[in-house]
Amino acid sequence: MQTTDLLNSYYVDTHTWDEMYARDAIRQQYKGVVDFLQQMSIDELNKKEEFAKRMFMSQGITFTVYSSGEGIEKIFPFDIIPRIITASEWSYIESGIRQRLKALNLFLKDVYNNQFIIKDGIVPVDIVYSCPHFLREMHGFPVPHDIYVHIAGIDLIRDQDGTFYILEDNLRTPSGVSYMLENREITKRIFPDLIPRNNVRTVTEYPDILHRNLVSLSPRQTVNPTIVLLTPGIYNSAYFEHTTLARLMGVELVEGRDLVIDNHRVFMKTTAGLQQVDVIYRRVDDEFLDPLVFKPDSMLGVAGIMSAYRKGNVAIVNAVGNGVADDKAIYAYVPAMIRYYLNEEPILKNVPTYQLGNLEEREYVLANIERMVVKKTNGSGGYGMLMGNSATDEEIASYKAEILKDPRQYIGQPIISLSSAPCYMHGRLKPRRVDLRPFALCGPDGIQIVPGGLTRVALREGSLVVNSSQGGGSKDTWVLI
Amino acid sequence: MLSRVADSLYWMSRYMERTDGILRMLKINYASSQDDIQEFSWKPVLRIFTYLDEETSTAIAHQSRTVLQYMVTDKENANSVLNIITRARENARSVQDHITKELWQCLNDFYHTIRDEQLVRGLHSDDPVSILDVLIRQGLLYYGIADVTMARGEGFSFINIGKFLERGVQSADILDVKFSDRGYDVTRQDTTYWKYLLLSISGYELYLKTYRSGFEARNVVELIVLNEDFPRSVIYSINQLQRYFERLKSDRNKEAYRKIDFMIGRIRSKVKYTTVESIFQQGLHAYLNGVKEDLYEIGIAFNQHYFAYS
Repeated sequence: MQTTDLLNSYYVDTHTWDEMYARDAIRQQYKGVVDFLQQMSIDELNKKEEFAKRMFMSQGITFTVYSSGEGIEKIFPFDIIPRIITASEWSYIESGIRQRLKALNLFLKDVYNNQFIIKDGIVPVDIVYSCPHFLREMHGFPVPHDIYVHIAGIDLIRDQDGTFYILEDNLRTPSGVSYMLENREITKRIFPDLIPRNNVRTVTEYPDILHRNLVSLSPRQTVNPTIVLLTPGIYNSAYFEHTTLARLMGVELVEGRDLVIDNHRVFMKTTAGLQQVDVIYRRVDDEFLDPLVFKPDSMLGVAGIMSAYRKGNVAIVNAVGNGVADDKAIYAYVPAMIRYYLNEEPILKNVPTYQLGNLEEREYVLANIERMVVKKTNGSGGYGMLMGNSATDEEIASYKAEILKDPRQYIGQPIISLSSAPCYMHGRLKPRRVDLRPFALCGPDGIQIVPGGLTRVALREGSLVVNSSQGGGSKDTWVLI
Repeated sequence: MLSRVADSLYWMSRYMERTDGILRMLKINYASSQDDIQEFSWKPVLRIFTYLDEETSTAIAHQSRTVLQYMVTDKENANSVLNIITRARENARSVQDHITKELWQCLNDFYHTIRDEQLVRGLHSDDPVSILDVLIRQGLLYYGIADVTMARGEGFSFINIGKFLERGVQSADILDVKFSDRGYDVTRQDTTYWKYLLLSISGYELYLKTYRSGFEARNVVELIVLNEDFPRSVIYSINQLQRYFERLKSDRNKEAYRKIDFMIGRIRSKVKYTTVESIFQQGLHAYLNGVKEDLYEIGIAFNQHYFAYS
């Protein structure tokens, strides 16, 4: 069967921006891929989809779900059709992210030192001090090169006219970059020659740039500093990513129990005794990092690591305390920060955000709840949020009661009807909603963003939630020259 | 190298060696069970390789398929191949950045192969030998990939230390149990019995080439304990253990090195400079037990001096 049928059930409603279709014509950037797919039979495409799944399984690109004492290996769903971004779209996104990160970094430095932005009344003091991720332990401590955010995974979405919006700034321990890398590897295998023929920019430099940045942070002046990646261990759902990055950078993958502090220095326990550690790329959250300072029952951290950090004997990436800058209540003030610190107009827009801690805004959100999404300010992964358009009356009522207990913990945003991109579903292409998470790296030489990122996709028809914990999958993401 | 990493590599390797040993043993015992005048008993096998109590193992001792299933895929059996492979894989998973991608994928594939439900059914309804062969080949692939792709560093040494320590213990174990089955009677002539024992550790051809006088207990012991060219003999395992251990010598951790070096040297002399006659004089069981104890002690010393991290 020649695949002219491939597109015949692709319907996009008029209120959605589609990445592939503009009215009834296929956008220029997708033509190469669509032509290529149409030369293949449904059987071949099904085989390729199967082959992709097998490769993820065999390489162990999986996470383990434990139930009844037995581990079950799962893969994150992967859609074989790439998501394509044009060169002009990318340069716009890139400049917007660069601007935003610059401002966020300055904000972190400011808020943990002189707090000019609070004194000048740009960001309200209570919003900062009520944020659970605002850590006094970081006050007045100069981080190396004034860089707090070394790695950011900023989430972007597009609404119905194709405008890009920033949805979230992930500045703590953003994950997903290994999927950006692995998805590309899989595409190379299942669609030979397709990538060079479409002039897709490469993403493989990511680990090299990150490694270079980590080396440059070493407090000891040595040719060969010891860099480690600190993981919570094999039961963490992102463990695969930790091993991949450690391997690609050639650094040691350690757990908290491998490290020990002596005289405010960090050492790892090796077969030949203790070896000093210079830079820690940690994938353990702030709260678990040091049982002496944060959660006393944390088994994942290292007792005394904060004092070593504050003495400047070890660099920690990302910096501790970044959560105050990607808090969902602070988010609303990022455009103001950009104007305040950089004296520039924000390039990328924020989604309008209402603080439920503020009486008028709360009343507005509650009155219009069916058009709103309400989120917890410190939540992530799509947990604890309410989609007003699809929730039942009871859900809304009980959620409202929760909100009133502590309104500061919630924000409301109008529901944005995410853009859609083609997905391969049982022999047909179907539109499904997507977002985009590019990964930005900040080092002493500036900000670098690898041309690509993670496209998450809501595989359920009509769903607007792309989080992997809520049935989302991912796609290879192409940036064209 | 991190102590935890060394520990995981060592155990990954021990578990893989154990897997290989168990699978070969099962294959040959199954073959032997088809070639027995009386009804074949799996009891000695169950006694070495499982924790089953006397009553339960007597109950299934004559049911080959049940035993195979129990030994290969039973989740309740801590020593089933499935559980051992799972543990080997967990260890490998936590040190993925220290083994090659090829080695990890091989182990991961092994894990997925043995969890394949069709395979489980095959053990019951098809020819079990083909299924054991699939698994044994997967293990051989692991050995090959480790040998061809792994860098000759510290990690490779720990992998081999684990492998040969485990092999030494296994060979001593198999011999001990086979003889206990015969009441340590070394004078009995029992061709089929010794033949299958040798086959199970790939020593059959070498035996035929070395000894022209048929199957005798004395020669079997000599081959399995003292033959330096036989890759599954006790002395071969100890020689290799020593060889890879010597590569760990460095200026750091000197004291630990000296201590373990002494232990390995002592047991090596004990095996190398002995004869079958003197072994029989001491009693085979006592001798093999002594060797095993010494090997276990070396394992404990490694744990103390190289792997301690918590």
